[in-house]
Amino acid sequence: MIALQGLSKRFGSRVAVDSLTFEVPAGQIVGFLGPNGAGKSTTLKMLTGILAPSEGTATICGFDLRTAVLEVKRHVGFVPESGAVFESLTGLEYLEMVAALYGIPARAARARIKQFIAFFDLGFDTLTDKLLGAYSKGMRRKVVITAALLHNPPVVLFDEPLEGLDANAAVGFKTLIQTLAREGKTIVYSSHILDVVERVCDRVVIIDKGRLLVDGAPDALVAAHQSGTLERLFAQLTGGLELEKRAEDFARTFRS
Amino acid sequence: MSAGAAGAPSTVRTLRRLFLMLFLRGRGARGLQQSRLPTSIPVRLGLTLFFYLLFGVFAFGFWSQPILALAVYLHVSTFIFLGLFVASSAGEILFNKDEGDILLHRPVSSRQLLWAKVSVLAQVSVWLAAAFNLAGLYVGWAAPAGDWRFPFVHMVSTVLEALFCCGCVVLTYQLCLRWFGRERLDGLMTAAQVVVSLALVLSGQVMPRLFSTGVLTKIDVHTWWVVLLPPAWFAGLDDTVAGAGGTFSWILTALALGATALVLWIAFGRLARDYTLGLQSLSESVVSPARRGAGRRWTEVLVDSPPLSWLLRDPVERASFSLSVAYLLRDREVKLRVYPGTVSLLAVPLASILTTRTLPGGGGFMIAFGSSILGLVPMTATKLLQYSQQWQAADLFRMAPVAGPAPFCRGATRAVQCVMTVPFVLVFVVIALATRTHPGQWLLLLPGLISLPVYSMIPSSDGEAVPLSRPGDEARSASRGLIMMGATLVAVVIAALAWWCWRVGWFWEFIAIETALAAFLYLGMRRYMLRVTWSSIE
Repeated sequence: MIALQGLSKRFGSRVAVDSLTFEVPAGQIVGFLGPNGAGKSTTLKMLTGILAPSEGTATICGFDLRTAVLEVKRHVGFVPESGAVFESLTGLEYLEMVAALYGIPARAARARIKQFIAFFDLGFDTLTDKLLGAYSKGMRRKVVITAALLHNPPVVLFDEPLEGLDANAAVGFKTLIQTLAREGKTIVYSSHILDVVERVCDRVVIIDKGRLLVDGAPDALVAAHQSGTLERLFAQLTGGLELEKRAEDFARTFRS
Repeated sequence: MSAGAAGAPSTVRTLRRLFLMLFLRGRGARGLQQSRLPTSIPVRLGLTLFFYLLFGVFAFGFWSQPILALAVYLHVSTFIFLGLFVASSAGEILFNKDEGDILLHRPVSSRQLLWAKVSVLAQVSVWLAAAFNLAGLYVGWAAPAGDWRFPFVHMVSTVLEALFCCGCVVLTYQLCLRWFGRERLDGLMTAAQVVVSLALVLSGQVMPRLFSTGVLTKIDVHTWWVVLLPPAWFAGLDDTVAGAGGTFSWILTALALGATALVLWIAFGRLARDYTLGLQSLSESVVSPARRGAGRRWTEVLVDSPPLSWLLRDPVERASFSLSVAYLLRDREVKLRVYPGTVSLLAVPLASILTTRTLPGGGGFMIAFGSSILGLVPMTATKLLQYSQQWQAADLFRMAPVAGPAPFCRGATRAVQCVMTVPFVLVFVVIALATRTHPGQWLLLLPGLISLPVYSMIPSSDGEAVPLSRPGDEARSASRGLIMMGATLVAVVIAALAWWCWRVGWFWEFIAIETALAAFLYLGMRRYMLRVTWSSIE
């Protein structure tokens, strides 16, 4: 469903993503992990056509990112980390605008929006009365997730989707993505909350400095590296163990 | 996945509707406090159009002029107004940083995006141009040299001019992004918006004076340099169809048609393909180049050198000063609010000293009034510096172990004095000295200058002027207008007393009393401010 072939991105002389190659079949949930600045968001932005790759390419649902970017965009739903929305619109205006861009007729769009707001426990009045600028972070995130799923895409990319969601909404969301995967959707899930990734994802891809470090099922990777937990494995691979020592040294400086 | 279902809305139409809505609602609708739909959009639009219509009434000054002169005036004014409007709006519409995450992963092509945005810009430009030219259309039809064809051809030439304006601005932004990169484009957009706002404010003051002196209605339009003015090209089209015509007008018409076609072709044909790349580059993370020199900004050097190092001994006050200066010099939103809001006040003192030359006795009252009313500059600027879209970050001030807002207010006041008041006063004094015909009267500037510190202190005296601590949307306040009216009244009283004392020979006694009173008020307000504690946040 998703296939990256030597996908790279350079910003001037800095290499953000360095020749990434892997595939994701339909119905799989892949945890896409890495420390800050590892190139996760850049990779996801390339897969959605927001950024153009410097080298290599990717295909999504058989459409090449370089030659059929509009088709790729039609088949992808994306929840960006920024959670950016047009704050001068109401939630309903925003979602109807997004639906229109995917060619969903107004009546069908309204019906789908109602399904989503029922799922997220948002009142319809909230969607019509308030501008998005007045929404709480969590409410705004729910609107962004709804906007990503509204056109029923076969591939969904989530970049830190839980940010701002309360505990109940987060639990509901985790169940939702597992259900979506069972329905055959391919999901790439980028997050720093590793225990959620461990529980939800069938497979984990860890990158650092733009390069692929490991790729496999969480249990298998943890066992192979004898790290006990995914968090420990992550720290082991990305230099996090050094951080523990540095944190201890740093804390000691406060003693005086 | 859904696509292309029957009855599906068109992408371009959806985008046009979106951008028109975003444009009309504007920045003001984005604030966190906005919890209701801005139902006043038609009212605001109507008021704007009415404002343009009122400005257009100056066209009656050309009642007895030939068609080409009227057309040149209308097109020059339209060009300036539209150019300013499009330049100030285009940056926000064309290159909105957030848009990358919202729209670039949707199935929308770069051409569709660009066309939707430009058509909204052109649509609003045509509305404004129509409102501005309404009176001119009547004059061109009903005046002695008028012609029934003028309204029709002028409408066509105005639409062409609007397209030319939009094309030029889009082209400029695209080329800047291509050649200079994203960071400089940001700076350029901010600078353009500040300059546009200042120009609009000052032109509102200058235009009536130019008309009253007859400068604008006595221009000979049949001179070679008129060919260099793009608005004159469109006026040529009017003259060719509805005026005296002639070779000169035909040349201008050809230039109008040729230039518009060329600009549109380059801006929307050649560069449209690069538009998405431009938007993409906005969402790319960039590494700022290292600054040249020793690594210290000039503002840091300023703070560490006397006299500021003496005045800013309190570290909290110093931090507040640095923060305020940074926002006054760097932040687009603050700059767009503070400078235009303050420059409009400068028009009054400048007009006062420029008109004194012709008054009997050298207009000593106007000199004193001009300098007295300068106090509105620090007062307004400090007040406006309170507002920012990042107001929530100011909770940091309350979290710090500082008893009250006084050091923050004082830092902000000093920043305004440093960045705005001192340069403004210097410019004002230089102009006043350069234009005086009665040399001794420059002393009448003193009463206003003595009152300046008191005016500066007024916004801070109750501890309210904490910088960047209130939502930007609250900046529109009726009470500020009342305070300014009160301050103006005080300036009139100071100036009248100073002028009267000057005439009866008690000027230095007046200065002594005013200085003592100003010092008393300043110290009293300062003492009160120091005792203010943080009020609870509602």
